[in-house]
Formats: sequence, structure tokens, C-alpha cells
Amino acid sequence: MSAPRPGDAAAFRVGDRLTGKEPWEVFGERIRRYEIYLSSGKVEMTRGPVTLEGYAVRVFRPGEDATGVGHQASNDFSDDGVREAVEDAERIAQYATFPTTKVDLPSGRGATGGIVEVLDRALWEYPTDSLDGYVAGLQAALENRPRSTLSFGAVRATLTETSICNSAGLRTGFGHTTVEVELGVKAFGGPEGPGPGEFWVNETHRRLPSVDLVRQVDDWCRFAEDARRGRPPPTGEQAVILPPSVLAGILPEVFRGRFTGSAQLEQVSLLPGSTVGGDLATVYDDGRIPWAPMSSPVDDEGVPQRRRTLLEHGVVSETLYDSLHAGAFEAGSTGNGFRGFQTGSRTWFRFLLPTVLSPSTIALDAGHGGTDAELVEAAGEGIWIQQIGWSSPDPLTGAFGGEIRLGYRIHNGKLAEPIRGGTVGGVAVAPEGTPSLMTSLRASGSRVELSDLVSSPPLLIAPLTVAGE
Amino acid sequence: MGELSASEDQLYRTVARLAQRGPFVEVLAQAASGLSIRHDSHGTSFQYAPRLRGAAFRAWTRTGWSEASVSGLDPTSLRSAEGTLERALAHRPAREGPPGLSSTARLETFTSPARPIHDMDGEEMLKLAREVCSWTKSVPDIRNTHVAISWREDERLYLNSAGARCLQGICRVRGSVQPLAMENGRAESDRFLHGGVGGREVLDALTPENARKAAEDARELLHAEAPPSGKRTVLLSPSLTGYFAHESFGHGAEADQFLRDRSYLKPLLGQVVAPETLTIVDNGAYPGAWSQIYCDDEGHPAQRTVLVEKGRFVGALHDRESAAAMGAAPTGNTRRSDFLSRSFVRMTNTYVEPGDRSFEELVKEARDGVLLESGTSGIEDPLGGLVQVKARKGHLIENGKVTRLVSSMALSGRVLDFLSSIRGLSGKEDFLLDTSSCGKGRTDFLPNSAGGPYLLATAVVGQA
Repeated sequence: MSAPRPGDAAAFRVGDRLTGKEPWEVFGERIRRYEIYLSSGKVEMTRGPVTLEGYAVRVFRPGEDATGVGHQASNDFSDDGVREAVEDAERIAQYATFPTTKVDLPSGRGATGGIVEVLDRALWEYPTDSLDGYVAGLQAALENRPRSTLSFGAVRATLTETSICNSAGLRTGFGHTTVEVELGVKAFGGPEGPGPGEFWVNETHRRLPSVDLVRQVDDWCRFAEDARRGRPPPTGEQAVILPPSVLAGILPEVFRGRFTGSAQLEQVSLLPGSTVGGDLATVYDDGRIPWAPMSSPVDDEGVPQRRRTLLEHGVVSETLYDSLHAGAFEAGSTGNGFRGFQTGSRTWFRFLLPTVLSPSTIALDAGHGGTDAELVEAAGEGIWIQQIGWSSPDPLTGAFGGEIRLGYRIHNGKLAEPIRGGTVGGVAVAPEGTPSLMTSLRASGSRVELSDLVSSPPLLIAPLTVAGE
Repeated sequence: MGELSASEDQLYRTVARLAQRGPFVEVLAQAASGLSIRHDSHGTSFQYAPRLRGAAFRAWTRTGWSEASVSGLDPTSLRSAEGTLERALAHRPAREGPPGLSSTARLETFTSPARPIHDMDGEEMLKLAREVCSWTKSVPDIRNTHVAISWREDERLYLNSAGARCLQGICRVRGSVQPLAMENGRAESDRFLHGGVGGREVLDALTPENARKAAEDARELLHAEAPPSGKRTVLLSPSLTGYFAHESFGHGAEADQFLRDRSYLKPLLGQVVAPETLTIVDNGAYPGAWSQIYCDDEGHPAQRTVLVEKGRFVGALHDRESAAAMGAAPTGNTRRSDFLSRSFVRMTNTYVEPGDRSFEELVKEARDGVLLESGTSGIEDPLGGLVQVKARKGHLIENGKVTRLVSSMALSGRVLDFLSSIRGLSGKEDFLLDTSSCGKGRTDFLPNSAGGPYLLATAVVGQA
């Protein structure tokens, strides 16, 4: 697979053979995946290319007060295979209903969503060399560090040609790359004292990270070393700074639960115009941030992604829709229909899973809180949370929380001793009148960083509940 | 099931041809079928299991395993995988076979319940889902109820060049009901979930009583207090006990982590780590449990493996390589999420064996503390020895009595400290295995089950 070739794109090969009832939609993928696993700093296993090509057919059968929606995925491109997939989808559409009679599918041909940077050209053309090069760089950056190693590592690259067509005449597609970096950086040895410690790196990128690896490895090794010495914090309400990597484990899930058409259908969405945050709480959903993992020219229904304002100075603004939910509320799709969500995580293949409504990248602009050091100074006394075990936010209640895997006490406006253990938790977003991260946002830093599904500066929250010794 | 039989000859021939070029070759082919439904007052969604089949081939080369996965069992796809491995074997020929024991098992087992579910069509599923949904309508403040029912038949064929042939078909059935309560803008939900390997009988757990209890519990949560924060006496419900077992001695005892020198438990093998009352087991052969398997993805039969016996850490979970490195036997714990994923050492059904105390005795002994109920998630720390588990709700224990309801919370602490603080386990009448899934890192999710009885100990808890 070199550059995407529109004529033989997976969706078009199937869509061109669909002659039955309308509306319908075909989502196709041609995927190559390359994986390198590391153990104790050495390459343990190399896999790839793992190849997967398939499609999903979705049919919509509007009725009197609802629409039957049928879906089936397959990797069988034969005439019989396509026919069987369509028959499955039609059968399902007899029973599966969605409360709208209006299904507006997008139309257009070519690059309908414009250009968004989501394809690492070097990785696309030379996947094995590129991945080998990155891993070699990692290994080199860890060399000559007698007290640090990679205890475990997985670097996985997925190269996907996505194509979408439908009965409204849409024929679009784009190539995109995703790189998952999962590392366990271990610190050990030294004078008698604490046992070994580990810092986990879990990052998802659209391109191979081009940062200064040595400097990044320096940070990871320092975090691993600090994890050895960290102690649980004191119990109580405290000022807490949450960097983007921590916010990435909290905000997307909670905003999905409160700012989407599915929340509206469930009658748990926040009332437009209600005030649920302070003046600093301006939050966007932005599907066009270059190199963000969920960015793309169009969503998985072929609707262009855009930047939407969810909260403006604490006031609830826009709601996110896919095509079906838009129909239910007489709105237009905002380009937020996505595939590939399973068990709380995203899969590297999307066609096997049905479309769900989700934010793309939750974005907060840079604030006036200054550098990280200035934000720490503003906190005075408190905690900087570097990593939470698993925040597992509840999209319905907005509650989140988990074990502090690594943090730092803040004393007299300076970062002090490391923290490990204990818990931190609260409510991320809540209806008007209920305290939450959005009402307790005291300052936003000026350094915006993209971390998985969040683009944000560090946020100073006060107070937040911390439990420890 | 039986979809893989048509491809078996081709798979066998591919393995046989590759075996002429290297010392050991294996293949795992997979096909699946199934149907799932989600229903609530707004609508219904259905999904068939995707029409997807494929195979993962693995060959031992001079530098280790080489793998090729293909999404198709047609001659062209198989030829592509064969070509990939031919090249790997030509570049890196191996003189000797891989470490560990190659399975020579010959096994053919399919889930065969008295009441099969694969003939349950969409109409029948929808009827059941609507009925379950209706059971919560009499409960005040219930705004909506989500019902999910699914069955999935996972067929796997394992062949290797040592002569193993393991064909298994596992049917997993699951049903859940999740009522949503609302009052003055506050929303809460609770859930009843039951799953297992079997047929329609698994869904018999979806009763009006269980559905209404979930609805009543969701409604009560609207008025739950914030949980306490800090170090407390904690009484874990069976699901929380299971999460603890899974995250601590489950992940910690996966022996691939031992080989990476990445488990705090490694130097403790053979030592006493907990009171005598504690026994932890992983059991892939547990009949009807959600994560029951007949054999693993290296062709080794599933088995009961004791990890902690009366407080002593006695065993680990192995694949062929870790077993060879540690002088142990494979334990039937090598699993792939699917044919597109690599294998790892994985848990199956992991649980704490029941003790001999009653729930009432444990509450009385706790005197003042918190009862954590309805486990929702957990995360391990195999090297550092920390553990986090989360509860959807709980109750305060005051003066030896269960009193006020509190909202969701997290428990955190060092596993070894937690173990040494264990003061008792309730009996088999409370034992429960749940229905869950587990990843290795952020990916590779698999059906998993964990459980146990009530467990009394001390730990840090906080709002979450």
C-alpha cells in the first residue's frame, strides 16, 4: 500500500455494488500495523505488517416515528460476502430503532473536509525503518544510565486508508497514521533504600514523536526515580495542579456524558445558557488540531470536523451531534460520529465497531497563569499531580478519581518531595450549583500541550479532595 | 460453530510446509458469531458479531518468535502469511526449537448447554429486553433503563508442528440492566450484570427482583453522602475482593513480568505474604465462569493454579517460555485477544477462596469503617506493588452496624501492607464471580472474571 488510491478504496469497492434501498453508508479501512515489543531494554518481538482490510455497511430504514438502523462489518469482499453483510444489516434494521425519522447523510466527492495534518509521510512510506529508528533512538537515550531501563515497551504504528461513501453521493477518504507508545521506565539500584520504581508512559500520536528523546527520557527516568521515594499525601482539601496528561484521563469521557446529543436524549445534558463553571472555564471540542489522535478532515460518517465551543466563560454553549442524533433534535451533525470505541478505549481498527457520538479533542486555550513554575507559585501550598493510576471518570455523574501514581507536594510556592499513593478525586463537570473542576478552576497555565484527546495548559484547581495518610 | 473446519486442511498444510524450514511453527485460527442488543426507552441497537475470520502464525527463528497475522483464511491470505514466515526463517534460521514445552494435546470441545442460545433471534432478544426494561417502571425517579443482552461464540483452532490440535468453541452469554435515576438535575445509575459460558440459562439471572433492586439502588444513590477520606477499616464486597485479587496477585503473578524483572512478587515466591486465611486461585477451567476456556492459545489445557495458598505465595501463571525459565510447567494462561494480537500471559477467572466468618461477624469486628460495594475498575502496579480499586458505592459502618449510603470511591495502598491487615473473610454463601474484561497495558482486552467473599482489612479510601 503506497499512497491512497481512490478507485480501489475499501468502501468504494463495496458501495459501487450496492443497488438496494437507500439510505446506506459504507465505511472502509485498509490497515497495516507494525509493532515492536521491548523487554528489559531489548527488542522482545517484532510484528508486522499485520494487515486488515474490511468494511462496515450501515442501512437506515425510516419508519413512522423512528428509523431502523442496521450495521454489519465484514472482511469478505466477494459478491457473496457483500450480499451477506447487507442482508445482516437489513435484518438488524427490522428490530433496531433510533428515535428520528430524519437521516441527513453528507454528500460530496474528494477531500470534502479539506486538509488536516494526520499522516506521517515518512512512516507511511518506510514504516519498518521509521519504527526501528525510533526504537533505536529510545534504546540509545537509555544507554549509559546504570540505574534506569525500559522494563517493558510497546511501540505500535497503524497506517490506515479510510474511505467512506453513501447513497447521498459522498465519496471521500484520507490516509492517517497513529503511533502508540507504551513504556515502563524503571529506576533501580543505588544505595540501600527504596525498592525499584516505575513510571508508565502511555502516549498516542499521529506521527512518530520528533522531540528530543534524550531530554524526554531524562524526565521519565527522574519520574521513575521519584516514584521510588514518594509517600502518600496528607488527607484533606487542597490546591491541586492537573497537567494535560492527567486531564486527558478525565475530561473527554465527562464531556461525552454531558455535551452530546446522546446526553440530550437521556435528558442529562447540561442546560444551554446555564452557568456550570467560572470565568476561566472556556472549553472547545476541536477535530482539526494538527496531529491530534482524533483529528481528521471528516468524522467516520464523512461530515467535516470543526471547532465547537462547549463552555464559554463557564456558560454552556454548543452540543455535539452525529447524523442520527442531529436528526432527533432538528440540528445538523457537528462531525462527531466516530467508530472504534470499545471497553473504554479506542481500537486500531474502526470498521468492526458501530458509530458512537463522542468529542474529538477537548481543548482549552492558554491562560494567564504563566509558566509551570509560576502556576506552582500561585498555588502556594498544594499538590502537583503527575500521574493518576486510572481516573475512570463516570460520564453520568462526572465523578472521577484514582490513586496518585506520582505527584509532588507544593510548599511555599515551590515543588517539593514526591508523592506516591493515596487518592485524588472529585467531579469534573456538574449541573449549575454543584461544585466541580470547572467551578474550582483558579488559573490556567500558558503552556498548551496536546496529550491524547486533550489539548490544554496545566490547570490549578482549588480545592480538591485528597486522601492519604 | 464449526466454521474453521473447512479451512483446517489448508492451515495444516501451511504449518507442515513451514515446519520443513524451521524447528517449530504454530497457528491459531479464529472465527466468531454472535448477536448483541442494547435497548432503552429511546430505542434499540443490534449488532451481529462481525463476519471476520483469520489466523495468527508464529515460527521460532534464531532471534525469537516471528509472527504473521492475516484477516482471511482463503488460499491467498494463507499464502501471504506463509511467505512472510518463509522469509523470516530464511533470514534467521534456527537450529533449536523454542524454550519450553510444545503442546501435543488433541482436544475438541464446544460449549454444549442444555438450552443453546445461538438460535435466539432478534425478535426474541428484543422481547426479553423490553420485558426486563419494564420491570423497573414501578420504581419512582427512574428516568430510563438500559438493558444489554449478548451472546458470542468464539471458535479457535490451534495447530502446531509438534502435533497438537485443539479445536474449541466457547459461547459467552451476558445480560445487564442499568436503571438511570434522576432528581433535580442529579443523575445516578446502578447496574446488575451477569454473564457466563453456557446458553440461555445464563440469562435466567435477569429477574424482576434483580432489575428492581438495581433501580432502587440507583434511586438511593441520588441521596448518597460523600465517602470518607483517609485510612479506614474497609470491608470489601465480593466484587471488590475479586478486583483486589486480580490487580494484586493476578497481574503480579503473570510470570512474563518475572522474566522482565518487573514484579514485586518475584522475590517473594515461596514466602508467607498474608494471613493463613487467604488463598488466591486462577482457574481457567472453572465451569460456566465468564472466562472459562478449554485450552490456551499455545494448546495447553486450562487448569486451576493456586497462587497464594493459606497465605504463602506458591505459584505463578505461565506461558511456555516463562515456565521453562522458571522450571515450571505451562499453566494454560497464554491468551491472544484475537488473531490480530500477540499472545501474553493472562489471567482467566481469578478469585479469593471463601473463609469461615459471616458477613455479620465481619461488620461487627469492623466496628467503624466503610463497606465498599459494586467494583467498577482497578489497576495494578506490578513493580511498585501498589493497587487501586474503585467502588460505585458503599455504606458507612458505625458501631458495628451498616448505616448510611456513600457515593463512589477509590481504594489505594501497598498490596503487602493490605495483605498484612486482612482480618477475615466471609464464607462460601457470599462467594461471587463477576463478569468483566481486562487489558494488558492499554490494549489486548479479554473476557476476565474475578471474585471472592467479603474481606475485612485496612486501606486508604477517597472520593472518586
